[in-house]
Amino acid sequence: MTINATCQFPGAFSSIDLSDADVLEAMTSIQGYIDITPKDFKEIYRIAFRHAIDRLSKSMTAEQIMTRNVISVGPDTDLIQTARLMSNAGISGVPVIGNDQRVIGVISEKDFLRRMGGGGSDSFMGVIAHCLSSKGCVALPIQGKTAKDIMAAPAITASLHFSISDLSRMLKDNNINRLPIVSDDGRLVGIVSRGDIVNSYCARIF
Amino acid sequence: MEYFKKMKGATTSPPRVALIEMLWSWFGAFAGISLVAYIHYDLFKGTDFVMIIGSFGASAVLIYGAIRSPLAQPRNLIGGHVISALIGVTAYKLLPDQMWLASSLAVATAIFAMHATKTLHPPGGATALIAVTGSQQIHELGYFYVIMPAAIGAVFLLIVALLINNIPKNRKYPEYWL
Repeated sequence: MTINATCQFPGAFSSIDLSDADVLEAMTSIQGYIDITPKDFKEIYRIAFRHAIDRLSKSMTAEQIMTRNVISVGPDTDLIQTARLMSNAGISGVPVIGNDQRVIGVISEKDFLRRMGGGGSDSFMGVIAHCLSSKGCVALPIQGKTAKDIMAAPAITASLHFSISDLSRMLKDNNINRLPIVSDDGRLVGIVSRGDIVNSYCARIF
Repeated sequence: MEYFKKMKGATTSPPRVALIEMLWSWFGAFAGISLVAYIHYDLFKGTDFVMIIGSFGASAVLIYGAIRSPLAQPRNLIGGHVISALIGVTAYKLLPDQMWLASSLAVATAIFAMHATKTLHPPGGATALIAVTGSQQIHELGYFYVIMPAAIGAVFLLIVALLINNIPKNRKYPEYWL
């Protein structure tokens, strides 16, 4: 599950490549003398586009894009149950919450894989390779353990008012795929995955 | 090296406009200049009043020929002429014996003031210069030059621009007022 960590947001949008010919054609299609050169137009366009992206990414917050019905586990939930839960819901990670609804850790597929005797590899293919080169399969090291034994802690969380750019940066900098969203008093209220961010862009920009 | 490289230029010129645009530009300029020239040469015949100055030719290029340009909008047309006229007359009054200095101060200060007031209108530079280099008749107008020809002449040109530039379906003037 290695994901290319290069976060190209939002810079990727600034490189939309307008040619002089595109601009000249547009200018020709508008009646009247437009007293701007194609180069100046492109410069204005590039800067304005950057501003628009910034504005959109700042205008949308975690509260607007997060998934609200979060599937979570407790610290003492055993790993069989945790794995079933994740499998049934089709998700690759869950927050681990204590009795007071505070997030104490996060478990992702990676945390399972890393401890499955895959030679320290946290990728599924690493585990497969290990399986094929040794005898039998490799879930034994984590049998009988519970969520708190393999979770990544302390959990990296974000607040409701964090903007999309804040969230993207946190995902990228920490090389993680989801962020539990907590209220001001620290209780879990939602979760934002990389997918949620992609979806919000599809809805707003394209 | 960078300094000289900049002199090469870096882009292409805007495209040529359609023939219909050229014709409307011609017609607007013909009507606008006709109006101020008729008042000047016929109605004001035998008086000391002035209604036409050279800079109106330059204004016509903008307000009939490049009507989308910010430089051609009413704020710039009227503001540019009035502010520049004021500066031009003042420069001549302060330095009537230093014509080179009065001329350069008038134009440079006019540009500065038009920028500062967001009324940049290139013909304003000519209006300021004419106030200094103009004829005896212009000099005798004193600050009245600001009102007429500068302000009133510009208003006449503007009225014609509003009437003519809005006749064709896909032409529209102004882009903004203030």
